[in-house]
Amino acid sequence: VTLPLEGIRVLDLTVWFQGPVAGQHLADFGAEVIHVERTQGGDLGRGVRTIKAVPVGDWNQYFLVINRNKKSLAVDLNKPSGREIMTRLVETSDVFLTNVGEDNLAKWELTYERLREVNPRLVYALCSGYGQYGGVSKPSFDMTVQALTGIMSRLGEPGQPPIYLGMGSGDAIGGLFAALGIMLALWHRRSSGRGQLINASLYGAQLFLAAPTLQAFLAAGDQSYARQQSRTAAANPLWNTYPTVDRWVYLCLANTDDNWSKLCASIDGAELAQDPRFASAALRREHAQELIALLDARLQQGGASEWLERCRACGITASVIGNLAELAEDPQAWANDYFVKTHCEEVQREVVVRGLPVGLSKTPGSVRSLGPELGQHTEEILVETLGYTWEQIGELKEQGAIL
Amino acid sequence: MTAALQDVVVLDATATFWASMGAGLLADFGATVIRIDGPAADSNAGSPTDTPHHFELANRNKLSVSIDGTTPQGRDVLERLIGAADVFVTDGSGESFDYATLSAMRPTLVYARASAFGAEGPDRGLPPIDELAAARTGLMPILPQPGQPPVYGGGGQMYSAVMLAFGVMTALWHREATGEGQVVDVSLLGGNMYGASLDLQAFLAIGGERFLHPVSRLDAGNPMSGTLYPTQDGRWVTLTMPDTDRWWPGLAAITGLDPTDERFDSHEKRCETNRLELIDTLERAFATRPAAHWRSVIAERNLSADVIEDYDYVADDPQARRNRFVLDAQRPGDSAKTLGFPLYMSETAARLRNAAPFAGQHTAQVLRELLGYSEDEIAALHEAGAVS
Repeated sequence: VTLPLEGIRVLDLTVWFQGPVAGQHLADFGAEVIHVERTQGGDLGRGVRTIKAVPVGDWNQYFLVINRNKKSLAVDLNKPSGREIMTRLVETSDVFLTNVGEDNLAKWELTYERLREVNPRLVYALCSGYGQYGGVSKPSFDMTVQALTGIMSRLGEPGQPPIYLGMGSGDAIGGLFAALGIMLALWHRRSSGRGQLINASLYGAQLFLAAPTLQAFLAAGDQSYARQQSRTAAANPLWNTYPTVDRWVYLCLANTDDNWSKLCASIDGAELAQDPRFASAALRREHAQELIALLDARLQQGGASEWLERCRACGITASVIGNLAELAEDPQAWANDYFVKTHCEEVQREVVVRGLPVGLSKTPGSVRSLGPELGQHTEEILVETLGYTWEQIGELKEQGAIL
Repeated sequence: MTAALQDVVVLDATATFWASMGAGLLADFGATVIRIDGPAADSNAGSPTDTPHHFELANRNKLSVSIDGTTPQGRDVLERLIGAADVFVTDGSGESFDYATLSAMRPTLVYARASAFGAEGPDRGLPPIDELAAARTGLMPILPQPGQPPVYGGGGQMYSAVMLAFGVMTALWHREATGEGQVVDVSLLGGNMYGASLDLQAFLAIGGERFLHPVSRLDAGNPMSGTLYPTQDGRWVTLTMPDTDRWWPGLAAITGLDPTDERFDSHEKRCETNRLELIDTLERAFATRPAAHWRSVIAERNLSADVIEDYDYVADDPQARRNRFVLDAQRPGDSAKTLGFPLYMSETAARLRNAAPFAGQHTAQVLRELLGYSEDEIAALHEAGAVS
């Protein structure tokens, strides 16, 4: 099976998540992605020992999954011979991808201004914190940038602490934008013959992550989009979360009379259906709090599965609000390759990893290997790609320029 | 100024915000994206993203043709459009064309299919509503504090939107090499799952209750990372300092703690032995000063921390303006703003060429310029009710 991005070489000088995951999208589809790492300890993600205070166990899934399908080159860029290796790689590469700080890029002679001279066809992809302009250069991690987007302070019940969208949620969208930007720049290079600089920032990407509410706020200035809203006062009681005896459910219905009568039927709510307070969409909006309180009480008389069965029978759209254990067993996720089983060298057994969210019918992506060992491909790249001799490699090792 | 996708023609038969936004990203970078606004177009009315403001964002820079595909002449126009297209995007609403039909007409076509739960599996036919996908993804119960209702974050669909554009580009790349079109599948479930990557992958590998139930912010795994502390004036400071050895001296300095305090003088003591004590200590320290003070001392020492802001901050943030993440809506006499362009490209910057079109705004233009119809032919089609 051919992979669509075969033949594209990506130098992936990245750490943690946002940068590496951009490279992962390209690697899943067959690009040759070379994860360039320092000789001492490599990518900082290799050092992850616990997640949420839980030890990662016998394999570091944080690093190994994000860097799957990649090669590892361990090189000391503080040494001239290490920088020479990078220059020669840049000459033969299509993409340079990085999320390391500007001071290091300057020190290592890897600025856009220099690399475009080395290789005018190079697509230079920067994953920054706050964007190309403006000069903000404070540290940028996922959650500290998410803090500025405003999305955290609008989630949850009034008075509750702000809510983070989940570990790596911002890096994930930043990485996706970088992967998209690289493809756009490669596409344009077909006709222009030249590469360019792209900058996918955490801030820009996370503002986009907030778009479902932020766009309405910006356009209409409606403060309700910016503030915590109680579920007990949702404007449309038919589009809301509800507790049952065992679990929560999500009801997603437009506030129409037809949906209202179906909902009443599903909960044996003949008296609700007759209640004049709820007889029209406008009235249901006006009396939303009373209606939600009544639905809360009614739904807590039964279990989620039973109620959803009744919803289905009445043609109503609703879902159980599941947990990660349920997702891990969800046949729908498995049927679409959103989970993949693969061999893990580190523990010599098959493991389950997050799979392939972008499906291509004729040239699907794949998980061919998990993340490489530090420097696993250094010699291969130096000999086969750059034409170094074994003698030179011996010298480089002696200098400590490579691992 | 050239555009990255100036040679790409996309037909857009979407109605949901996120799928339209996926095609919209292609339009922002210069693709000719033509909405097919047939009489059958429908939206998932009731969704919070079903507002004119969302439509404006997702459909700016696009053209719109209005074609009645139920008439033979209208059908013919649609077929000629497909013959001129590189990409077809559908979310199952509006004009329905399956891949087999379209690829027979145009084998090079990239057919992007935006669905709720993927193209396979028992629930492939469910409506594309982001809340339903988020409910299945497993994060909603663990986002809030213990004892609180599950939380819908709302961002899941945006991963799906970017994936749609990325998948289209990957398929176009393959087509350039082989001449072969194919189907691109993205879904709300796939996008939501990807947004939950780290929690999900950790659960798959190690499991455990901390991934199934909310963890109190006062029981954080690392007191200095991913944590929230209230300020004196009722706001919040968040810290991300995973490598605590590096950040501890600076954090201790701003919070008035002794950096050599024996309770906290190693990563192990901070994150294991005396973890809860450190959380409590930081909680009390941050409560002594207002947010403005913390913002200032964090900046002075260049620490990895910030004050939690709200949408008012974003609307007026010079950094967001300078980078065109937020723009003025540019309607006369209107102070409204809009989200701009999250991705910077030095040679092929995203541009605002036109506002979102009304249905059929560009019918004549597209028929004339893209398909080569004469004015007489266009008039005849109007008269027959095939286009409007």
